[in-house]
Formats: sequence, C-alpha cells, structure tokens
Amino acid sequence: MAAVAPVRRPKRRSIPVGRILLLGFFLAFVLWPLYWMFNTSIKPSDDYLTVPPVWFPTAPTLVHYEAALFAYRGLDGLINSLIISLSATVLSALFGTLMAYSLARYNTGGQHLSFWVLSQRFLPPIGIVLPVFLIYRGVGLYDTHIGLIIAYTVFTLPVSVWMMFAYFRGMPKSMEEAALVDGCTRWEAFWRVAVPLAAPGIVAAAVFAFIACWTEFFFALILTSRTAFTLPTVFRAFIGFQGAQYGEAAALAIVSLVPSIALGVLAQRHLVRGLTLGAVRG
Amino acid sequence: MQHTATISRLKAAGAPPRLSGFAQWADRHFKWLLVAPAVLLILALSVYPLLFSLVVSFINYDFQVPGHAFVGLKNFERVVFDPVARWSLLLTAWLSGISVAIEFVLGLLVALTMVRSFPGRGVIMSILIVPLFISPVIVGQAWTLLLQRPFGPTNYILTQLLGQEVTIGWMTESPWLYVSLIIADVWQWTPFMFVILLAGLTAIPPNLYEAAELDGVNAWQAFWAITLPHLAPMMLLALTFRLLDAIRMFDTIFIMTGGGPGTRTYTASYYLYTVGFTQFHLSQATAGSWLFLIFTALVVMLLVRRLLKTEPV
Repeated sequence: MAAVAPVRRPKRRSIPVGRILLLGFFLAFVLWPLYWMFNTSIKPSDDYLTVPPVWFPTAPTLVHYEAALFAYRGLDGLINSLIISLSATVLSALFGTLMAYSLARYNTGGQHLSFWVLSQRFLPPIGIVLPVFLIYRGVGLYDTHIGLIIAYTVFTLPVSVWMMFAYFRGMPKSMEEAALVDGCTRWEAFWRVAVPLAAPGIVAAAVFAFIACWTEFFFALILTSRTAFTLPTVFRAFIGFQGAQYGEAAALAIVSLVPSIALGVLAQRHLVRGLTLGAVRG
Repeated sequence: MQHTATISRLKAAGAPPRLSGFAQWADRHFKWLLVAPAVLLILALSVYPLLFSLVVSFINYDFQVPGHAFVGLKNFERVVFDPVARWSLLLTAWLSGISVAIEFVLGLLVALTMVRSFPGRGVIMSILIVPLFISPVIVGQAWTLLLQRPFGPTNYILTQLLGQEVTIGWMTESPWLYVSLIIADVWQWTPFMFVILLAGLTAIPPNLYEAAELDGVNAWQAFWAITLPHLAPMMLLALTFRLLDAIRMFDTIFIMTGGGPGTRTYTASYYLYTVGFTQFHLSQATAGSWLFLIFTALVVMLLVRRLLKTEPV
C-alpha cells in the first residue's frame, strides 16, 4: 500500500508561511510610523528623550494638540485648507464633468484636446509655479484664498476630466439618445439624464480631487504666506525642531491626516481609476 | 428609464419646446461650451504662465538686479554651468530610479500575496492604501520623528537588534540621508504600485492557471509564462505614472533635510525652488525650469509612447 504512488496529488493546503511573513512585515512597515506619530502626539514632553523610548504613554495628554491648533495657528490652517480644498473640489468636479461629457459623447477636439488635458497632469509643478507666483503678485492674487482655489482647480482638472471621461465612455448612450428623440435639448439630456446616472463617478472624482488639494504642499508654500496658508504649510514651523516640538508636529499631523484617510478609504472602490486617471477600471 | 419618462412627461405637459435665440445658439455650440470653462482655466493658469516664464527666462528678472533687459541665453548658461544644478539633476534621477524600483518590486510581491481572497483581506487592503492619502509633508514628518537623533527610536531599536551601539545620523550623514529619503518615498508610494498591479493580477483569467497546473507547470514557470506577459501593460503604466511623479520629489526633502547638509540633497525641484525663492534669481530659475520641463517631456515621450502602443484599451 505504501509503495503505490498516489495517482492524483492531493490539493496542497499547507500554510503559506512566506506570504504571511511578507504581508505581516509590510503591514508593520505601514503601521509603525503612524503608530509612533500618534504615540508622540499624546506623550508628555518629559517622555521624549528617555532610554528606552516610551512605547506606550502611561499619562496621555492633549496639550500638544492644543498648542498645535492655537499657538502654531494649526486651526487657521485647517479652516483655510477646508475652504480652499472644498471650493476647488466643487469647481474641478463641475468643470471636469462638463468637459469630460463633451469629450466622451461628442469627441470634441478629437484626441488632441483630451491628450492636451492629460499632458497637464505630467507638467512638473516647479515650471508652473514660478511664473504663476509672478503673475499672482502682479494681479493681487498672491496669498489669497481665491488665488489658491483657482490654482488647485486647474491642478486637479486633468484627473477630474480623465476620470469622468472614462466613466461616461463606460455608460450606455441610449438614455440620452432617447431624451434627445423626445425633444430634449442637449443640455437637458446632459444635465437631467447623464449627470444623475454618473453621480457615483462624479462623487469619486470629487473625493480624489479633495484629497489632492488637502495634501498639496508645493503650490501652497509658494503662493501663500500669512493669510491663506493651508494646513500642510504649517509644518514649516517644526523644521529642525529648535525647541523640540515633536508633540506639536505629531498632533498636527494626526489632525490633518484623519479627513483625507477617512475619505480615501471610503472611496477605495474607485481607487484604481483615481490613480490611473481612468485608464484602468478597478 | 425614469429620467427619460419624466422628461417626456414634462414635454407632453407643456407646449412644444420653443427655444429662444440664445438657447438655440447654445444648443448648436453645446460641445464647445462644455469644454470652455476647463480649457480657459488651463489656458489662463498653465499655458499662459508657461509662455510668460519663457519670456522671463530670456530677460533679466532678478529681485537683486533692477531692470528687465534682454539677456539672451545667459540665464540658461548660468544653470547649465552651475555644478549644483547638474548634481541635483543627477540626484533626481538616482533617487527616483531607486525609489521607484524598490516600490515596484515590493508592490508586486505584496500584490501577489493579496490576489487570492482570505479572511481579513478587506481590512488589510484598507490599511495598506492609507499612505496614499497622507500629505508627503506629513510622511516626511513621520519619518523624521522615527529617525532623528536623539528623539527617534530607530537607533535604539537597531542597537537592541544588532547587539552593538548604533548612532546613525539619519538626516545628516551620507549615505544615510539618502536612505531616509528613499524609505519615506517607498513607504508612501509602494501602495500605489501595489494597488495598480493587484488590479492587473486579478484581471488575469484564472482558467489560464488551471490549465497550466494540469500541464504540470510549476508556480515559477506560470509566473513567467502567464503572469508577466499579462501584467506587462499594467506594469508599464504603474512605472510611468510613478516615475513622472517621483522626479518632482520636493516635499519630503523640504521637511526632512532642507536640501542639506549643504546642497547634498538638492533635487531638481528643490534646486529651482532655492534659486527662485531664497536667492530670488527668478529668471535663472525659470530658465532652469524650462530645461527641466524639456527633460521631463523627453521622459514622457519615451514612456507614454510605449504605453499607448502596448495598452490594449
């Protein structure tokens, strides 16, 4: 009996040790900086430089949050970020949807127009931001909310346009055609038929535009100063840690990353489309 | 269905639609009116600034030198013959190349472990994508907290693991500062590779693997014969997108090293930023940014051309 080789190999059900190790290692790698930041944000200042480090703060405190929000004007940055990101998101989703619909249904401008918009996504920001800085200073848009809203709208438009372009192309035309046959104007066919059907796509595009604005640093660094500064630019205050403001930096980071992570995880079904500008359907 | 029904009811209720002169005109030019806002915005805030900067790069536009005289190619010469500029371009290529390569391999490995469903996969997925939604500034801050002496716990952990005193200046000593910058980039963007490659992997028809298994092909051969060719377009897409973002590297450097020590961690973006906004040689910076733009365009042409050819979409 033992000598007879089994005819069919039994399906291997062994535990994939290598995979579990790799995934476990990577999970730890992702979570560790987040944990340490949170840990630092609630740690009393006395625990900063102990050896060994304090892994679990025994006396958590919120003093760093208070200092980050008020003494370092984190709250002002938060409010500015909200105003600017939300406005730019609405404009970008609106104009992006309008343009995408025209590109998808009427093939406006052929490939040239759509690829011209796409090419904007790959321009290095440093090439744009220098002249925009000079222009903004000239026309009084430097360090204004409106200035940054316009800049962010343009900067997120390629993604909005291309995500919605892909979405409209994946949607059947028949509804809009029926509406046109029924005597609707083209605008009505778009606004009352296509837009409601595309609503999930528009929301997804808006979420990614918001995250892009919320996390943006470079434009905000150069185009704002004391008035319209956004949350990411507040971190300049902690560079070099002259006064060892580790807790404040960590607290502000925690405050800032919660909204974008929450939105991103909620919209993760659309993540692949968002990352590839609609080129890949997730 | 209900939309069209509603609209036809609306139509039936009212008089036959009569369009005013404006509405007729708008309906005729509908497709151009829809693209107008976006196109005008891009023209105003991207094309016009680029042309403006082209002008600036041929004149004197310097907050330290008065007047706007035409200077020909002098601004370009200043950049080309600046050793710091050449160093920063080289560093940009190195840093982005190494970071993207590590992100690609690690992202592919993690994606391979996540193809099949298992309990907890959804939760793990949600955790792995978190770095994508965090500002690079905060990523730089987080790694600073971990690495910087004397506060960061990294050296302590390494000391315990290796059994000997480790005192690495992660933000100040070469080559460790490059390692730090690469780690921060890898932390943030490996999920990008992972998400796209996973989408590609799950799109491969499973019956191919079943057929291969029946033919007695082992897992490694199946990877080379099935996975790799099917995944190639997606790999190229992920690499292209990631590389074009990686060469802009600025935020983490701004927070972690400030370009220092000296100019050791100047990337192209950081160099141009310094020339323009701390030395206020604006025309030299715009000239440099045009050179960088051309450099980027070459990379785009090489990669995106390939991409458009191979992509089956």
